[in-house]
This record gives sequence, structure tokens and C-alpha cells, in this order.
Amino acid sequence: MGRKNDGVLKWTLIAICAIFLFIMLILPLIYIVATALREGFGAYAAALSDEYARKAVGLTIKATLWAVGLNTVFGICAAWCITKFNFKGKKIISTLIDLPLTVSPIIAGLIFVLTFGRQSFLYDYLKAAGISIIFAVPGVILATIFVTFPYISREIIPVLNAQGTDEEEAAALMGAKTFTIFRKVTFPHIKWALLYGVVLCTARAMGEFGAVSVLSGHLRGKTNTMPLYIELLYQGYDFTGAFAVSSLLVIMAVIVLALRSILEYKGKKESEQDR
Amino acid sequence: MADTVQNYVELHDINKNYGDFQASHQINFGIEKGKLVALLGPSGSGKTTILRMIAGLETPDSGEIKIDGQVVNHIPANKRGIGFVFQSYALFRYMTVYDNIAMGLQIQKVPKQQIKERVTELLDLVSLKGLENRYPNQLSGGQRQRVAFARAIAPNPQLLLLDEPFAAIDAKVRQELRSWLKEMIGKLGITSIFVTHDQDEAMEVADEIILTNRGRIEQIGSPSEIYTYPKTAFTASFFGQNAQLEGYQAFHTFGDVPGADKALIRPEFVKVYKLDEKQQYPESASIGTVEQISFRGDRTELQINVNGLLITAKRNLGESPIAVGEQVKVFLYRIFVLKGEEVILLENEAVNSNYFNI
Amino acid sequence: MAIKRKKTRVIPGFGLSFGITIAMLSLIVIIPLCSLVVFTAQLSFKEFWETVSRPRVLSSYWVSFSTALVASLINAVMGLILAWVLVRYDFPGKRFMDGLIELPFALPTAVAGISLTHMTVSTGWVGGFFAKFGIPIAYTKAGITIALVFIGIPFVVRSVQPVLEKIDYQYEEAAQILGFSHARTFWKVIFPEIFPALISGFTLAFARCLGEYGSVVFIAGNTPYETEITPLLIMSELQEYDYASATSIALIMLFAAFVILFINAVLQSRASKKIGKIA
Repeated sequence: MGRKNDGVLKWTLIAICAIFLFIMLILPLIYIVATALREGFGAYAAALSDEYARKAVGLTIKATLWAVGLNTVFGICAAWCITKFNFKGKKIISTLIDLPLTVSPIIAGLIFVLTFGRQSFLYDYLKAAGISIIFAVPGVILATIFVTFPYISREIIPVLNAQGTDEEEAAALMGAKTFTIFRKVTFPHIKWALLYGVVLCTARAMGEFGAVSVLSGHLRGKTNTMPLYIELLYQGYDFTGAFAVSSLLVIMAVIVLALRSILEYKGKKESEQDR
Repeated sequence: MADTVQNYVELHDINKNYGDFQASHQINFGIEKGKLVALLGPSGSGKTTILRMIAGLETPDSGEIKIDGQVVNHIPANKRGIGFVFQSYALFRYMTVYDNIAMGLQIQKVPKQQIKERVTELLDLVSLKGLENRYPNQLSGGQRQRVAFARAIAPNPQLLLLDEPFAAIDAKVRQELRSWLKEMIGKLGITSIFVTHDQDEAMEVADEIILTNRGRIEQIGSPSEIYTYPKTAFTASFFGQNAQLEGYQAFHTFGDVPGADKALIRPEFVKVYKLDEKQQYPESASIGTVEQISFRGDRTELQINVNGLLITAKRNLGESPIAVGEQVKVFLYRIFVLKGEEVILLENEAVNSNYFNI
Repeated sequence: MAIKRKKTRVIPGFGLSFGITIAMLSLIVIIPLCSLVVFTAQLSFKEFWETVSRPRVLSSYWVSFSTALVASLINAVMGLILAWVLVRYDFPGKRFMDGLIELPFALPTAVAGISLTHMTVSTGWVGGFFAKFGIPIAYTKAGITIALVFIGIPFVVRSVQPVLEKIDYQYEEAAQILGFSHARTFWKVIFPEIFPALISGFTLAFARCLGEYGSVVFIAGNTPYETEITPLLIMSELQEYDYASATSIALIMLFAAFVILFINAVLQSRASKKIGKIA
């Protein structure tokens, strides 16, 4: 295996990859930070402390918390029910859970408009009850939940499938209740996968653009999330402002990537130990 | 039922199907209190299904399961008073040995001090003292099995079920664990059922064997009974190291069974003599040629061709050696003759006549 | 036997977890999907057909399809090389490179979109360089393709990587003992093994690219007939409250996504059959 052209091939391929990734992935990141700071740190801080910017950050965090919270509960329940029990329709349920991954975000927005919008039969009831969903905060939250729906269950299900049901059966034979079994037996297996799912879900929830764009109505200070606010600034030629808000999301993305590699490493280490 | 011995576990007309697959068909048996019973059979014979139904991990399609005189079909698994040792042990991987054993007691809300005493006692019993703070992945296979055993008996179950308890352990340790488990269960006096596919294991460990095949019970009996007097063709061929052959009439002085299919000969039925050795029943011996000799440590195993029929025989190391190609005299004490599902034990008539003559 | 069978589940908690799962699934996925179906049923076919076959819509299909295809092909090649480099070679910064692959999943698409756009306009770092040669990038199909390449990078790498990791070195050693050259070993021994994963990564990336909106909308320039992608067209119909047209075009996109995933499933099962035969 120690042929000369091995080394040449190896380093050529590595160089191709490095250049490709640098231009496609790293350069845009550097560019964001450079543009955000090009008018000095003062302008950067001013752009971020703008009232609408703060409100956009607030709404993004709110929508993200809702999405992550509900999807965590859902993800754990769905994973538990799919991996620990046999029942009819299991395949259909798994397919439906994964569906939001394959649907274009614009179409995701569209189906919620069709469900709650003016032409829907629900519209009159909602109006009578004084609830507005479309072009309001609940719509933004719903869209965010939809696009991140499978993120947590998808991370947990493979881990639980690999683990099997023996330990839970053993605990159930001892008379343990659902919550005890979950907390003492199942949870330790999935904790890293769950955390990883939460991280992915957070990243996607904060960054969702298309579906939220359809449902928000772009009301500045009311239904604008960070990505929508960035769009607004960019289209208004406020590049410093757009890139300044973007830089916050870049920081988030970098944190996500760092956590990802840590969590993946931890998860791998533990599953290796089990062997 | 009042007069008969009260069975601790009873199965009545149990049936279980998985789709088209018939896992259990009309299963009936009873197990006396305090007995150690083996559910033995080839893989896919339905033995594990029976065990899991007794445990309450599976539900029979029809039939009744009784434990201690009570029908338990609708009693959930955790209320049946059983201990279960899983094939893979199913130890809680994220709990220490101590917590694994204590879990069942904690769920029953036993006071802490009592739990501590019980766990310490059990650790002592299974000789794992000092390992209580280890995690399962830090233990050897044999140690894990002993933890699983201790965990299963911690809440003092009346019935212990073990699913292939030795399958995941390497051969050398397995031998030790077998005698350990038999001794342990004997000491505790707990009614136990274990599943195995290994006939040696079943015969060595169990008081009673329930032999299953294709979802049915073939035979129930003590190891010696079931080995010596098989009632079905399957039982006869399952045990021992059989040579199956057609045309057993080639051997002398056996009675004739009309309509017989074939015969089974176990090595212990065969006695081999060198041509110059003295022999008890010279008139009934056949002459064969040794085709192969394999050394088995304490004995040698011979493959002998007798008129085109290949049979296996054993010869102790102390006896004078035999070489490949040598002509030998072969004497059969008895054979099993199979006729459909039936088994007929034929004793060599020479032995009987001799017996009567003296 | 007429015994009533109550199925005993040994592990508790089925009812609770199943209930929560179904409730949330209904609210988030099933009911919205049903409303799509109900609304579709109200469309007349003639209206539907007229909407989806308008010249502007037709050209948007071509823009979406051609850019997604080119971007996915670029990603298939680069993804294969990346996966190979990450699995087979050791070099400083490997873990960093491995982590970086996931950036397009972590970085919001709108952020990627404005950054790529601003870089490739004629005054940007990259756009300025190409502008010297008279090659515009932003607001052309080339720009759209670049945005889609960005989005699709992780798909092929992450499908091929685990398969490549599992291929035993003994395979290649066996091939080399038989006297195969390196190139021949790769094409005859390794490539057939990773081909199904490559196809699967390619189709996933392709499907994602077809539906992509956030990163493309800025760089595309959105000139009708030239750089207008289909999702954008749906968006503008929605902004005009023309739900019928938006839904009609969305149905075409959903159909396309379904066809792509179906083709992938067929290819996968054929490939696994082929491998199964050898094994």
C-alpha cells in the first residue's frame, strides 16, 4: 500500500475538499461577520439593540421554545410507542412523522394557510372565538413546530431500536410503573440522542424561513422572526443591520456544530462501552 | 384433583399462533412444587413461547395457565410472583450491580435497611461481594449471569423462569455455571423452569424434562426415563449421538418388527471386540471394518462399517488399541426401531436367552 | 375458541404515549394535510391545468429542475470525494472538516442566502473577481445553483460515509492480491457497494433542492422566465391570496417529490437485491 502516487492522490483529494469547503461554507461565514462589522463595532451594536431587532429575537426564542418543548414531549412519546410496542399502523405513523422533512417549507406554510385561512371552514369558528392564527404569532409557532416535527423522535428511535425491549420488560416484571421505567431504565440510554435532537431542533426552529414567511404576514415588531427581519433589512438595503442580525444566527450555528460533535462523540463512546 | 399431587404450575390446552405460525399446539403439563424443570427442544420448537406465556410476557390464544392453583391468564406479569432471567440477562446497563439487584425491592417499597440486608445477602450467595458498584459492562459473562440470577430472586419469587440461561456464556464457564445453578436452586427450593436447546444441559441440570418439537410436547419425564425409554421417534433421535440406519436385520439375533422404517443405534449400545478378544455372545456378533478413529481425550470413537451400515462405537483408552482398516467384532445390546412416530426398543435376544439360561 | 383476547402488553405506558403521539400528529400533520386534500377536491381540473401549464409556471419548473439537477450532480461528485477523504485518510483538521459538513443544516437558510448573494454580486468578494471576466453569478441560474450546492452538501456525504466505513479493508486487499490496480479496485469493488447510498444521497439532495426557498430567493433575482423558481411562484400566488393557483402548483411539486422518492425506493430495492444475490 505504500506506493508513491498514494500520497499524491491523498493530498490532492484532501486539498480539493478543503478548497471546496472553504469557498462554499467558511467564506460565507467570514463574509457575514466582516460585513456586519464593516461600519465599526458601534454600528453593529446599534443594529442589534434596535427595538425591532430585539422583538424579532424575542419572537424567535418564543417560537423555538414552543417547538422544542412540544417536539421533545412528542418525540419521546412517539419513539417510546414505536420502539417498545407492536401495533397496527406503525409504519404509517412513522411515515407521517417523517413527512415534514420531505415537504418544501413553502408548501408547509401553504397547508396551514389552507387549514386556518379565510377559505377554511374553521375560519368562522376561530374568528368567533377571537383567535387568529394566520399572520399572527400562533401561525409562526405552528409553522416552526411543523418543520421541526420529526427532529427529536428521529434521533431517539434508532437508539431505542438498538437497545431492544429486554430491560423494560425486566423492569415491568418487577412491577415498575411507566414513569419509573422511563426515568431509571430508558432515559439513560437516550439522553445523548435526546440532547442532540434538541440541539438540531433548536437550530432549525431558529432558522426556519420559508414556512414562517408564508404564515407570518411580516408585521414588523409583531410577527417577524429573526430570519424574516433579516430579509426585511436586506431588501431595504440595510446590509450592516441584516448581517449584524445574521451574525447572531451564525454564532448559534457554530455552537450547534460544536455541541453536535461533542454529543456524537459521547453517544458513540457509550454505545461502544455497551458491547 | 384433590388426591393427586398438587402441581404448582399447570398448563391446560394452551394454543398460540403468530399469524400462520403455530408456536404452541395443545400444550398440557403440570410441574410439582420445588422441581427444576427443563423445557428442551430444537430452535423454533416453541419452548421459549411457553416460558414467556407462563411469565405473562405473551398471552395464549386459548387455554388456561395456573400458578399455585390460580388461573393467571388475566393477571399481569408483575403480579404472578415470578422471577425471570432473560437470555441476554437484560441487566439495566446504566445501574450498578447493587441497584440492579435492589430495583425490584425498591419498587415494592421495601424499607432501605431491609433492601441493603437482602442485597448483601444475595451478593454473598452468588459470590459477587465487592463488585456491587460495578456496572454490567465491567463484568464477565458468568458474573452477569449471576447478577441476573440474584436480581430475579431478590423479591423472593415463588417461581423462577430462565430463558436459555447458559447460551451467552463460553463453553468452559458454562459447565461450572450449570452445577452452580443446580446447587443454588436446590438450596433455595424454588420451583424453576429453564429453556434450553442443549440436551446435555437439560439432562445434567433438570429434575424433569419437557421435550418440545414443532409447537407440541413430545414427551415429559425424568432425564433417565426420557433418555432410556423414548416414546416417540423424535425423542429417540433427539437424544444421544445416533447412527440412523436402514436394514437393521443385518445384525444377528434381533426380533423382527413388521413395517419398521429404520433403526437408531447409540454408541453405548455397541460393544467392539478385537477378533482375538474373548466375547460373551459370540453367536450374535457381526464382523465390521474400522473406517475412522477419532481421539476424544478420555476415549476413542470408532466408525465401523458393518455390511455397508455405518455405526459409531466408543472404546475406552484402557482397552487394547484398534487401527483403521482392522476387522472387528461388533455386538449390539439393543436398538431402537422406528415405525412411523412409534419407537420400539429391541433387546438383543442373545442377552435375554443367556439371562434365562443362567 | 371464542375466548375474548385482551392483549396484555407487559411494558406499561402504551395508551399514554400512543395518545399523545396521535393527538400531536393529527394536529400538526394530519389535519393540515387533510385540508390540502379537501381544498384540492374543490379545484376544477380545467382551472388546475390552466394554472400549472401557464408559460411562466412551466419555465419555473425548468429553472427549478435544471438548477437542482446540476447542484445535486456537483454534490454527488464532491460528496463522494469528501466521504472518501473523511473515511480513508488521516490528516490534521479532519474532525473539524467532518463537523463542518453539517453547517448547511445548522445555518439558517436566509442567512446563507444573503451571504452568498452579497458575496457574488458584482461588488462582492467572489462576484467582483468573476465580474472581471464578464461572468455574472448573483441573479443568474449559476447563482441559484451555488445556493443549492450549499444546501445539498451534507446529504451525499452523510449517506455514503457510513457505508464506506463498513466496507472491510480485506475486500480491497483481496482485490489487490488478485492484481487489481487501485482505480480498478475502486470502480469494481468499492463503487458498487456505495452506489445505492450515493443514489439515495443524490435523490434526497435533489428533492430538498427542488423545494428550497430561503437560500435561493435572495440570489435568484426572481426574473420571470429566467430565474424564477417554483416555490417562489407559490409564494407570490399566496401573497396575492390566490390560494387555488398556489395549491395547484404545490400539488405539481408534491407530485414531483413523490416521484423522486419513489424512483429512489425502486433503485434501492433493485440494488439491494443485486447485492443480496452475490452474498
